Amino acid sequence: MTRVCLLRDVIGRYMLDLGNLNDKVVVVNADLSGTCRTKKFADIFPERSYNVGIAEQNLVSFAAGLAHEGYLPYAFTMAPFISMRACEQCRSDVAYANLQVRLIATYAGCSGGISGATHWAIEDCAIMQSMPNMVVMEPSDAMQARKMMAATILCDSPIYIRSSVVDVADIYSDEYEFKIDKASYPKAGKDATIICSGVVVQYALRAARLIEEKTGSSIEVIDMHTIKPIDEVAVINAGRKGPVLVAQDHNVVGGLGYSVASKIAEAGIKTRFKILGIPDKFMPMAHAPYLYNQFGYDTHGLVSAMLNLLQ
Amino acid sequence: MVTANKIRELEFATLQIRKKLLKLCTLQSIHIGGDLSIADVMTVLWQYKMKYDPKNIQDEYRDRFILSKGHASAVMSFNQAAIGCFTDDEIYKEYATDGGRFSMHSCNLVNPYVEVSTGSLGHGMPIACGIAAALKLKGNDISRVYTIMGDGEQSEGSIWEAAMNAVHYKLGNLVAIIDFNKLEADGNIFDITGIGNIAEKYNALGWFVKEINGNDVEEIVNALDNLPSPSTYMPIVLVCHTIKGKGVGFMENQAKWHAGKITFEQYELAIKSLDAQFYEKWGEYND
Repeated sequence: MTRVCLLRDVIGRYMLDLGNLNDKVVVVNADLSGTCRTKKFADIFPERSYNVGIAEQNLVSFAAGLAHEGYLPYAFTMAPFISMRACEQCRSDVAYANLQVRLIATYAGCSGGISGATHWAIEDCAIMQSMPNMVVMEPSDAMQARKMMAATILCDSPIYIRSSVVDVADIYSDEYEFKIDKASYPKAGKDATIICSGVVVQYALRAARLIEEKTGSSIEVIDMHTIKPIDEVAVINAGRKGPVLVAQDHNVVGGLGYSVASKIAEAGIKTRFKILGIPDKFMPMAHAPYLYNQFGYDTHGLVSAMLNLLQ
Repeated sequence: MVTANKIRELEFATLQIRKKLLKLCTLQSIHIGGDLSIADVMTVLWQYKMKYDPKNIQDEYRDRFILSKGHASAVMSFNQAAIGCFTDDEIYKEYATDGGRFSMHSCNLVNPYVEVSTGSLGHGMPIACGIAAALKLKGNDISRVYTIMGDGEQSEGSIWEAAMNAVHYKLGNLVAIIDFNKLEADGNIFDITGIGNIAEKYNALGWFVKEINGNDVEEIVNALDNLPSPSTYMPIVLVCHTIKGKGVGFMENQAKWHAGKITFEQYELAIKSLDAQFYEKWGEYND
């Protein structure tokens, strides 16, 4: 039985390790320390924990001030609020100043499901990746989330990390090696590639196996946990190998899909190619699995899209 | 109490700053109205009050200065020149030029004396709060964090997010200064926004509030010399009543001089009038 978890639980818990590891680590909340699972950090490190209230602009600027003085602030809230309400603060106070602020966002994509579109972040990667200096990442499982968080300590850049609030299955073992901007390969394959990130990786793995059983085609899955800077070599190798299907819980405009597309086009690679994501429209609330099905990047949707590309 | 000689010296310094601003204004369009309104406060801070050594700009115990009203960069730059960060000629030469270090909104990428790059309003004060909190966390109870805001800037919601936050985190090391010149880009502030009694608003939130004439050097010196210690618990706000375009007759209280360029004739007229105002008050003076 595969273990499942919520990444916010993993990330919140891992903050305790980071807090113990490095006394420059501080946490800044905006009245969502429960949602973001950082209450324990505040209990254990009260002096290194701030809560600015429901004030996302101040969350980010305040964190910028802390980073200016040499601290490593981890600013937590929901992805739509940090990427849009505090967009200019992320850009002008953090990215422009190139400060080591870590913007840790939950409710990625439409994983917030029944909370509705106000609580979905379907533009966040497009927004964040367009800011110079900003590293944009999205973990797919618990082990990767922990290793990603560990890697944030030594990274000189500002970082945006988005994570979903739906159950994700374990993908990686203890031996998994994580490096920012180096894609992971949870499944090898020689005929075609699914490039994806976050919650979609688990669906892609299931889809790849189903296709293999059904057709015998060998499908590679690339977990592009670092959306920016993107692992260009991984993208180009995939493009040279065969059809490429990109899927992310994000609007099809911007995000992982557009980044992969531009690298393939710039390399002059001719291949069959498809981007799956939220089809550039708003939808009423629904549970995330239903939405993923409607938008076509759950296991079923990925299988059909890949079969199309392989035809 | 500060001596009359010291006040005269500082007023002479503000005279020089105003003259330099006007000279720059003949070369480039600058935010001259708001530069002139805050020139006295800026001069007293940089040339009298703040602990800041241009040769040791990373000194932990320096005072931090964040220009929240980032468009007043010119008046900051001339004051930084006055303490040796660079020369006045470098400012004239490089202001708003390709590859230059000085611009309408100061930029830390090219000018290391700019503590924080600013320009978009409503950012400096919240960043100052984060810096003030960080200093407390480090146990630095000597440095102060000064931030100068505009009055029109008070319309930005992020200012009030920070204003509540500063009280909550007992940021007694934070000194917020409001350049209350009553004019914003589109005209009279009271015609544009319900700013009301700004001092009472900060007071109600729990700030230590002082209202002064922000164009009176002696009042500014006395206010800054008598602030509660940075190790106390109330953030401080100085509501500085000022005149936009202060010191230059044809610019005073004119919204249209929010930003602009002047002719050489206007420059000469302004310099004459500034000199006359100074010498009428102090008589002959050589620094």
